[in-house]
Amino acid sequence: MSDQRILFRKAGTAKYISHLDLMHTMERAFLRAGISIRHTQGYHPHPYVSIPLPLPLGFSSDCEILEFGLVDGATVETLPEQMNRALPAGIEILDCYDGGLAFKKLAFVRYDITLEFETAQAEEGAEDFKALMGRESFVVQKKSKKAKAGFTEVDIIPLVEAVEAVRAEGTVLSLTLLLKAQNPGLNPDVLLQGFKSEFPDLHVIYTACHRREILDENKAPYR
Amino acid sequence: MDHKLEKILARVQKPGRYVGGEYNAVVKDKAGVDCRFALCFPDTYEIGMSNLGMRILYGVMNETDGVWCERVFAPWGDMEDAMRREGLPLYALESGDPVKDFDFVGFSVGYELAYTNILNLLDLAGLPLRAADRPDLAPIVVAGGTAMYDPEPIAPFVDIVSLGEGEDVTLEMIRLYRRAKQEGWSKAEYLRQAARIPGLYIPSLYDVTYHDDGTVAAVTPRDGAPAVVTKRIVTDMNRSYYPVKTIVPSTEVTQDRVMLELFRGCIRGCRFCQAGYVYRPVRGRDYELLVKQGIEACRDSGYQDMTLMSLSSSDYPDLLPLCDGLLDYCQPRKISLALPSLRADNFSMRLMEKLQAGGRKSGLTFAPEAGSQRLRDAINKNVTEEDLLNSCRTAFEGGWSSVKLYFMLGLPTETDEDVLGIADLANKVYYTWKTYSTNRSRGIRITVSTSCFVPKSHTPFQWEAQNTMEEYLRKVTLLREHMRNKSITYNWHDPETSFLEAALSRGDRRLADVIETAWRNGAKFDSWSEYFSLRTWLDAFAACGLDPAFYASRERGKDEVLPWSMISDGVKTSYLWKEKETAYQGKITPDCKVKCTGCGASKLCEGGICHV
Repeated sequence: MSDQRILFRKAGTAKYISHLDLMHTMERAFLRAGISIRHTQGYHPHPYVSIPLPLPLGFSSDCEILEFGLVDGATVETLPEQMNRALPAGIEILDCYDGGLAFKKLAFVRYDITLEFETAQAEEGAEDFKALMGRESFVVQKKSKKAKAGFTEVDIIPLVEAVEAVRAEGTVLSLTLLLKAQNPGLNPDVLLQGFKSEFPDLHVIYTACHRREILDENKAPYR
Repeated sequence: MDHKLEKILARVQKPGRYVGGEYNAVVKDKAGVDCRFALCFPDTYEIGMSNLGMRILYGVMNETDGVWCERVFAPWGDMEDAMRREGLPLYALESGDPVKDFDFVGFSVGYELAYTNILNLLDLAGLPLRAADRPDLAPIVVAGGTAMYDPEPIAPFVDIVSLGEGEDVTLEMIRLYRRAKQEGWSKAEYLRQAARIPGLYIPSLYDVTYHDDGTVAAVTPRDGAPAVVTKRIVTDMNRSYYPVKTIVPSTEVTQDRVMLELFRGCIRGCRFCQAGYVYRPVRGRDYELLVKQGIEACRDSGYQDMTLMSLSSSDYPDLLPLCDGLLDYCQPRKISLALPSLRADNFSMRLMEKLQAGGRKSGLTFAPEAGSQRLRDAINKNVTEEDLLNSCRTAFEGGWSSVKLYFMLGLPTETDEDVLGIADLANKVYYTWKTYSTNRSRGIRITVSTSCFVPKSHTPFQWEAQNTMEEYLRKVTLLREHMRNKSITYNWHDPETSFLEAALSRGDRRLADVIETAWRNGAKFDSWSEYFSLRTWLDAFAACGLDPAFYASRERGKDEVLPWSMISDGVKTSYLWKEKETAYQGKITPDCKVKCTGCGASKLCEGGICHV
């Protein structure tokens, strides 16, 4: 029998649950819901739960995926309802299904990004952003635990698959971007940091990132 | 969520602790609520959510129609700075509403080093610190918890002190408040009426006068307040509330597990132990009920760990059937069962073997408290060297290879010989391992930790002087020089916080000025090394013309009026004095099961009988 997946939303107060804490939360929710899941083999067996693309702390998402394995003949049909009663506020199971595409086929993420400026700089910010995206290359420093210097250098341009929308309204700039998901992928926070340091005259006071959809290599929804 | 809060959360560490929304957090419809209680824990979320008392009170209040209890914790420094900068007042986690608009602001105070955090939370809420500067009925600021057996240092800041176990008295206090609100009473009228509820101490209804030497001359009640306020207890633990359905934090907290409370109180009567006196008498839950509650709590929370809690679990009469009942459920589900607070005897060792069957063998921890038999007798810690070494032998034969030993320095009557007895005992544990270990190639880790004794109110040592910080350091140095074995690691507690704790834990009302001054000069989170500064406190004492040594390092006479003399935990002061004298004779007092020695706490029970 193949493993199962849930598609879930993570928003509101649940934005602040870290990836590791989310794994624990999910394990406990399965137990609370009375749903038995497959354990790993080995000396210290633990429940198998796996998330292909961890969501950074503070981001919201409509398209998170978690893989696990049902045992005891539980069915996918009733699972969302059972789990939703056992989950903390802000996490909502949208679907549960058998199988799914291999993790490595997850290719792109569509992000809705909001930047709030201290003053009405959104128009100016939009122009700057478009100009930046038109460059051949834009190298930023990215924090790294592995690298000796404490950071590595990344060229952002090839990692931005498409700028799908740029909307400026007073103090708020909204972007919809299609970013590479992995190998290598681009965390929009890295892009935003680079953007802010490139244009120090823009006073960004708040940014919010929301994962709207995850896509496979053919840009069809990844499931 | 509030957008201002979202902006702040983007820039602080561990934002998950500031948003609520956890599984089982209670959100009520405000339209059906006429009493809102902000239950505050004056430390971080991680510590506060690990406190069983908080969970019990939260459950008890939220089971009551029309009452909504929410949680508040102390924000860490980065969060506090951001809140102050952005003008976001202290809010409760469930609703996000400002604490200052609540009917009650209640603090659970387990330790004295949290006092500055109470002030900080009141200030962050935008409330005046002093009760006298809050003329309106709402909010009523109330404090309870073990530290409140001498509430005087924070008396001027709070309206009500709730003594003992809060399950019943909290609801009585709320009931009276709802009537006050309906009938439009003044705050003064409400407090006068509240003083008639047993277990509620209203500091503003007591005048304290002092002698020239700084000791208390008299504590005089006014407006019909009782001369002595006695703590409240739950008499029947089988019928009392246990939070089977309780909040499961979405982020990691210190005690992230099911906490099953076996019994309250302790039969042992260790003379240094405040908990051993203030929680008297012993009251247990039936093991069948505990098995049921433990299983239900695991089911509802999804926790994979359970801890059996009490002051001395080996003294629970049905410990074996309890563990068997729980293991039947836990073992097939891989739920681990932890049983701390066991005595060092062979029965306990066999039980440990059983609990850890097939699992990883974690370290063993023993608390002999003192290094010599003479001193253990003087403090009534009824553990012999033979018991301890026999337990270690069983452990080493069973494959354990890590032992922790906890001791206190500075116990009354302690000599250097007693101090060196600690090193001696650690060495004997080492030789026991050498003789009986089944696997010597793995080596042995013996960790010896010493803390500094803090004399506490309501114990036989409440009249004692604490060792000075210099004396503590001298004893630490002495001990270090005698622990040269590479397998023995020695950790010692820094005496600075213990000195402050001693000064605050037996303080009088004048210390309120010191606490406020220290807080104004930046003191907060005093139990955290990141924040603690003895200098700040010494300066505050000096600025208020008071000497911390007067409170910490001074021996009190039998006839001195102690600042907490109007507070009773049910144990007679004459009994405590007799125990102090017995300590100096180096004699032990039998435990409550062997013989009732007439401490007085039985009067708290229905019919005046302890059911030990």
